[in-house]
Amino acid sequence: MAKKFIPLLLTCSFLFASCGARERWQTSTLLVFDTLCEIKVFCGSSTFRAAQEEVEGIFSEIESLFLPEAEDYASPMVLELYTKALQVYHDSDGCFDITVGPLSRLWGFLSKSYHIPSSGQIESTLKIIGMEKLKVENGTLILLPGMKLDWGAIAKGFAIDLASQALIEMGITSGFLNAGGDLYCWGKNPDNQDWNIGIKHPRERGYFGILSISQLGAATTGDYQRYFIRDSIRFHHIFDPRTGYPASGRQSVTVCGPETYLCDALSTALFVATEPEKILKKYPEYGAIIVDSAGNLSFIGKAYPFGPVE
Amino acid sequence: MDRRDFFITMLATPLLTPLILASKKSKNDLELYLIAEEPQKFILTLLEEVQKYSLSDDRKFCFLNPHPQEKALKKTFLERGWAPVEKPVEANLTLCFSHLQDKALPSFTLVKGGKIWDIRTRKLLSLWQEMNRTPDPSSCLTIASFKSRPTDLLVGKYAAIYNHGQRAETLSLGKDLTRSFQTRGGRVTVLVRNGKAWISDSPCRQKICLYSPPVSLAGERIICAPNNFLLTVERHRSVDTVIG
Repeated sequence: MAKKFIPLLLTCSFLFASCGARERWQTSTLLVFDTLCEIKVFCGSSTFRAAQEEVEGIFSEIESLFLPEAEDYASPMVLELYTKALQVYHDSDGCFDITVGPLSRLWGFLSKSYHIPSSGQIESTLKIIGMEKLKVENGTLILLPGMKLDWGAIAKGFAIDLASQALIEMGITSGFLNAGGDLYCWGKNPDNQDWNIGIKHPRERGYFGILSISQLGAATTGDYQRYFIRDSIRFHHIFDPRTGYPASGRQSVTVCGPETYLCDALSTALFVATEPEKILKKYPEYGAIIVDSAGNLSFIGKAYPFGPVE
Repeated sequence: MDRRDFFITMLATPLLTPLILASKKSKNDLELYLIAEEPQKFILTLLEEVQKYSLSDDRKFCFLNPHPQEKALKKTFLERGWAPVEKPVEANLTLCFSHLQDKALPSFTLVKGGKIWDIRTRKLLSLWQEMNRTPDPSSCLTIASFKSRPTDLLVGKYAAIYNHGQRAETLSLGKDLTRSFQTRGGRVTVLVRNGKAWISDSPCRQKICLYSPPVSLAGERIICAPNNFLLTVERHRSVDTVIG
């Protein structure tokens, strides 16, 4: 009998010792930027509560500064992101442009009352498009009358970068943050491997391929995210700032690289660009997976581990 | 089974933990780990108890590798109306033999979705008592995997390798390769040829894993218990999250 009890006691003490602030995989979601942000991290429960608060705080700050109706042009964070956006604007020959706001409004994407504008309307709107029309004076961003900023192709990635950095600084060694199209992952997944990130199929359910990455960001821009159909033509929300019409030729562009805000901005730039390779040459640490309008895959820039799904 | 007996059952589980973790990944609905020299004495009682819990009424079984009690087990199954099938995917019960490095007292553990299933019925209690009347330690582990749904007869695309309870690598079955893994007992070598995977070399004593036939269909697996090593065929690579 005594023999039976010794291992039993050992087991019990082991079980009790392992309770407490045990680290384990923790997940939660929060609603930000009109989308669900998925958090998965490896830590103890008290760290996780702090992590959730941190992420929520960062996202709500970014949301308040960069929502379409926001007009705080003097905040240091706005000026910081403006500088980052201006760099991508120059490097992409204007394919990425945060001044496309009036186009989104003209086509009804802000009010969700979609319509196709006349060519005259588009032409006059184009006069207030272009980041060279913006100025910074006395620590504030100056817009021409009628101009409107659309941070939608960079702010979410920027928020993901800030939030994941904060979690890493809290000592969380593994995890990911995924706000729909924008993601950052670090450390190892629960299988002790690089993270396997499925990329949504632009026309079907499920994903068309898997990126296996860590310590990297990724972002997808697709014509399926916001669009309306008239006379069987798809009009989506990714505008070519040079023509004023939705960019054509691609269904989705996914960019992978060290910083999520750049993945975010570059995925839009490459979606619009006629020669995307030229842009990526300026970003040697970034790679892209492009699905063209016929559904064909192509890869440009730095190659990251990718496996297609049949 | 009373609480204490259940705890004693748990004592056997550290041996099984890596296998249980791996079973969480597989889509098998239920797994039975039975440590006994003569599993045929207990397996049907266990099985019938388990079948009360809405498992399939289909009665097809298949051995995944040679079992020292294969003849006796087959006889027991046939007597109760079970039919043997050739392909593991056609069976709703697959039996796999493993040789434990250290002997353990006869016991059984039911695992559902990666967690130990605590069912206590009168029948299981008397079975438990019967097992403990002959408490000679055994190194014979029989793993019975049940499926409530028939598995599609699908060719797998990947061989997932679990070493010491953790996923070590995902090998594509699409290209021929040879890969060695440093396990707790030494190097285990996996070969992939023409869409099939098998263990070609292992330092374990009994070499059970070497006799397991090559696997290629989703759900099939090869286990090397002494080395805490598992190879399982998957149809899809799993993802952690999706963007876009």
